[in-house]
Amino acid sequence: MAEAGQSTAIIRYKAELRKAIRRNAHDPEVNFLNITAMLDIMTIILVFLLKSLGESSNAIPQSDDLRLPTSVAKTDPHQEGVTLTISKSQILVGDQKIITLPGRESQAQTGVGAQHKRGGPNDLYIVPLGNVLQTARRTDVSVRRAKGLDPSTSEAIIIADRGTPYRLFIEVLFTLGQSEFGKYHLMVMQSKTLGG
Amino acid sequence: MSDQLSVAQRGKIRRLSQPRELAPDEEGGELNIVPFLDIIVNILIFVLATVAVTFTSSIETTPPSGKSAGVRSQIQSEALNLTVFIVNDGFSLKASGGNIAPGCTGPGPGIAIPMNNGKYDYAALTTCAAKLKEKFEDEDQAYITANPGTEYQILINVIDALRRNASGVPMFENVNFKVPR
Repeated sequence: MAEAGQSTAIIRYKAELRKAIRRNAHDPEVNFLNITAMLDIMTIILVFLLKSLGESSNAIPQSDDLRLPTSVAKTDPHQEGVTLTISKSQILVGDQKIITLPGRESQAQTGVGAQHKRGGPNDLYIVPLGNVLQTARRTDVSVRRAKGLDPSTSEAIIIADRGTPYRLFIEVLFTLGQSEFGKYHLMVMQSKTLGG
Repeated sequence: MSDQLSVAQRGKIRRLSQPRELAPDEEGGELNIVPFLDIIVNILIFVLATVAVTFTSSIETTPPSGKSAGVRSQIQSEALNLTVFIVNDGFSLKASGGNIAPGCTGPGPGIAIPMNNGKYDYAALTTCAAKLKEKFEDEDQAYITANPGTEYQILINVIDALRRNASGVPMFENVNFKVPR
């Protein structure tokens, strides 16, 4: 009889305990800011900015070897075409180095030098550049056809150092013309004043 | 009597029914990313603040023409055929009527726009081009040729001087290059 009473007391105790636990239970309180989502957004913005800045045509890397000339022209830079870079020391098509240039005095007299010309120092056609441009032209023809553009001529974006002598500049333009590039976009930095 | 709980039992129920405090390592298992967030925000602000504010632009041109005359797609007759020669002493201008005299007053020999204090006078070139443009309103093409050593920046300055007048009105927007003699 006493055992039965003790068992009833334990049952009652356990029932009261369960009730009390249920009564005191509450949802876990959010006592901190969940910044994971915000961090995700920040990281995505950062990656997007870095990538878009790196690929933008506005972000032409400038150094002592390549300083763009300034112009008062306000036209938007052209985006499509084969990029040809003339720095103080080399000529590149896209990222491919084509020729290492001689000193400036030599550039002003014979351009890239007689060894790279088709017919001697007075010739304007630069053979290694022409070979690469012809390959680029073949690729560009396919691209232009796919885009529904006129494939009879290609366009080139010319990024040249402000100190490039006219002789070398004309040699490059002449070689481009011989390689069926009919329109050129000379990249410049915008300036408010002429010569500025 | 057995229905009533003892004081000890009530105390125990009160104690055991309290919500259990979570240990710091049990709280959601989140990393402390606040320092990382600080770094990211700083980098973001730095990148935004150091974005190059230099804007690029492009000038259109076509392949250089030969030593004699340029390729003309328009205005076959009564064209100005303005050619600017960038020489060491200034700008020599030649049009269909012949060489332009100093001061841009009319045909005649000499350097049309001599250097001003050892510098090329781009403002005078613009003024001279504007005078010519008044007489040949339909003409929008000009040629540039230069000494082999002339810097690219000077070519661009000459293009700028020819493209628009002082008021910003377009003049010779199609500028092409000629192979030097």
